[in-house]
Amino acid sequence: MSSLGNLGDGFLTILTPMNMLWVLVGALLGTAVGVLPGLGSAMAVALLLPVTFSLDPVGAFIMFAGVLFGGLFGDSTAGILMNTPGNSTAIAGSIEGHRMARSGRAAQALATAAIGAFVGGILSSVLVVFFAPSLAELATLFGPAEYLALSVFAFVAISAVVSESVLRGLAALVIGLAIALVGVDGMSGTARFTGGMPELFDGISIVVITVGLLALGEVIAVAARRGTKEDLRVMPSTGRLWLSRAEIRLAIPAWLRGTAIGVPFGIIPVGGSEVPTFLSYGTERRLGSRRADSLFGKGAIQGVAGPEAAGNATAGTAMGALLALGLPTSATAAVMLAAFRQYGLQPGPLLFERASELVWALLASFFVAMAVLLVLNLPFAPLWAKLLKVPRHYLYSGITVFAMLGVYATSSKILDLVLVLAIGLLGFAMRRYGLPVAPVLIAVILGPLAETEFRRAMAVSEGDPSVLVSSPITIVLYLVLALGVTGLLVQRARNRGRAIASEANPS
Amino acid sequence: MTTHPAPESGPAACLRRRTGLIVPLLLLVTGIVLGAGTLTMEVPPNVASPGPQLFPTVVAVACVVFAVLLGIDVLRRPEPERVAGPADGDPATDAGTAARTAEAADVTASSASTDAPVDVSEGAADDTAGAGATRVRSNRGAVAGLVGTIVAFIALLVPLGWLLSGALLFWGVARALGSRRPVFDIFLSIAISSIVQLAFSAGLGLNLPPGVLAGVF
Repeated sequence: MSSLGNLGDGFLTILTPMNMLWVLVGALLGTAVGVLPGLGSAMAVALLLPVTFSLDPVGAFIMFAGVLFGGLFGDSTAGILMNTPGNSTAIAGSIEGHRMARSGRAAQALATAAIGAFVGGILSSVLVVFFAPSLAELATLFGPAEYLALSVFAFVAISAVVSESVLRGLAALVIGLAIALVGVDGMSGTARFTGGMPELFDGISIVVITVGLLALGEVIAVAARRGTKEDLRVMPSTGRLWLSRAEIRLAIPAWLRGTAIGVPFGIIPVGGSEVPTFLSYGTERRLGSRRADSLFGKGAIQGVAGPEAAGNATAGTAMGALLALGLPTSATAAVMLAAFRQYGLQPGPLLFERASELVWALLASFFVAMAVLLVLNLPFAPLWAKLLKVPRHYLYSGITVFAMLGVYATSSKILDLVLVLAIGLLGFAMRRYGLPVAPVLIAVILGPLAETEFRRAMAVSEGDPSVLVSSPITIVLYLVLALGVTGLLVQRARNRGRAIASEANPS
Repeated sequence: MTTHPAPESGPAACLRRRTGLIVPLLLLVTGIVLGAGTLTMEVPPNVASPGPQLFPTVVAVACVVFAVLLGIDVLRRPEPERVAGPADGDPATDAGTAARTAEAADVTASSASTDAPVDVSEGAADDTAGAGATRVRSNRGAVAGLVGTIVAFIALLVPLGWLLSGALLFWGVARALGSRRPVFDIFLSIAISSIVQLAFSAGLGLNLPPGVLAGVF
């Protein structure tokens, strides 16, 4: 029961007025950014990174916890009311959610989403509290070969699963690996691709990359879409604020099923909550079709409850995997990893020993943030939607100002501003031509790790490559990866065949 | 802004539907730069065996390979000929977003139940990616205005200082994104820039360049 004792200490650390203020500020900012279309919690954390420099690590990380989950709470609001999900993780929940809004039950949909996010987040945080320490112990058995296998797993899984075409996913991955090569090689001291500029010896900062790809890329995409017909009507939030007993009876099993689906996906590096939210949506739909009075297609409450719970459950366990293994499984976790590194902390097995106070304060702040967010979102979701009435050009120019401010404030280097613009243009081109952004972030974070571990393993074995597949853990990881990718490719080929067949003879 | 062009033919139209070639082109250039950089890299003499050149070589080769594969893919499957409708007129796309998203949602739902959720989800995520039968309209003027503003901001930040260049950034971006109240925007942008200066420079102690207004504060 040492976990509970540690968690108690964590609560004692954060239950000070100042720290509670940071949670609240984080939750407000996270929700605000989450509500805006196209911007999610990964970008919110990236924008806040430089701003939190003057805080102590504990204050900064509990603020990040608020931002992280605030983004997840907020992104369903725009999806339900406007059918423009704030983030890809909210798409599944918005399908039925927007239909509920159209049939005059917007308030119930928003409430279901908020409670679902709360249930998923709390349950997965409980799991993290109890299992992260043992996961960290397991991770101490990992050597260079195992870490290489984990990175390769993350690379392939994220490229294959997140993107609609494996080719585009892998191309995005390669772009990320190329960006990560810039800088002085840590093992030999060789300057690589710096063009002789000392500013580049430390590599391109992760703040520059995330802000460029996620924030500036989106702003440019908004500019490019200007003048295109868009349906931006905000549905009035009508209906009862509370859920009837019948609705709760429908929603509770969906919340729990969604959580169960979401939890395992936090540990598998497939790029976050897209897969579990859609799996949950599919499950709810199939279960709903067995009922005679199914509302699917007309706004079924289960279709909102399941995916929202799944999304937050995944985010919770993803943080557990990040803390215990040091392995980011989603874009948001990758940015959080960057945040840890800014404070000179390396997530992974040793973090629980070296910075145990910070870890437990962070875990405790998950619970506090979740409670604060439930209060902020349950009654006030319609108020958040008002944010969408601020003219778009002011919202996004504000974001641009903050992006440039953040990048410049981190380093005081003009070169970083030039880089952020270049990477922003890259992010825009990737959005425009259907390349996923998440593999770039994962590659930038894990690329150097994979290289170092590979070279370390080869140095230990004196050049014998069989060391890479010599332990049971590595063999299992590569086998699972091969099976998963084969299964996915077969599935897609079959779907494509079916699509062509149904196009050929429409019935 | 161009209105609806008549269906074109010839090499120009052919290229217009394949602007996606810019991504493989970028990959190809990256691969070549990486390859050249790897060959000319100055490696210290006593480096352990898989040296600092191995990974760049692998990445460079991968860049070229994916550039070719992606290039073929773009050439074989060009974007739809029809461009998405502008904000006014064109009744065909008027019902557009709503109908199309509903449709995409149905497709998503049916295939989500066959355990292959993501490829469709991406389609629904940005119906720009090709779910609908129209090509994305790109407002080149707006993008140029935005990028130009940011370039000007970068150039002027140190000489002018945060307060003025930050205000210029906000004003220019708002204008590029479609604001039509330039005078009101001037006051708004100076207000925002000043709030940022106060909150982050005076409040949080971040280091912002004072520029020409150095003596005033």
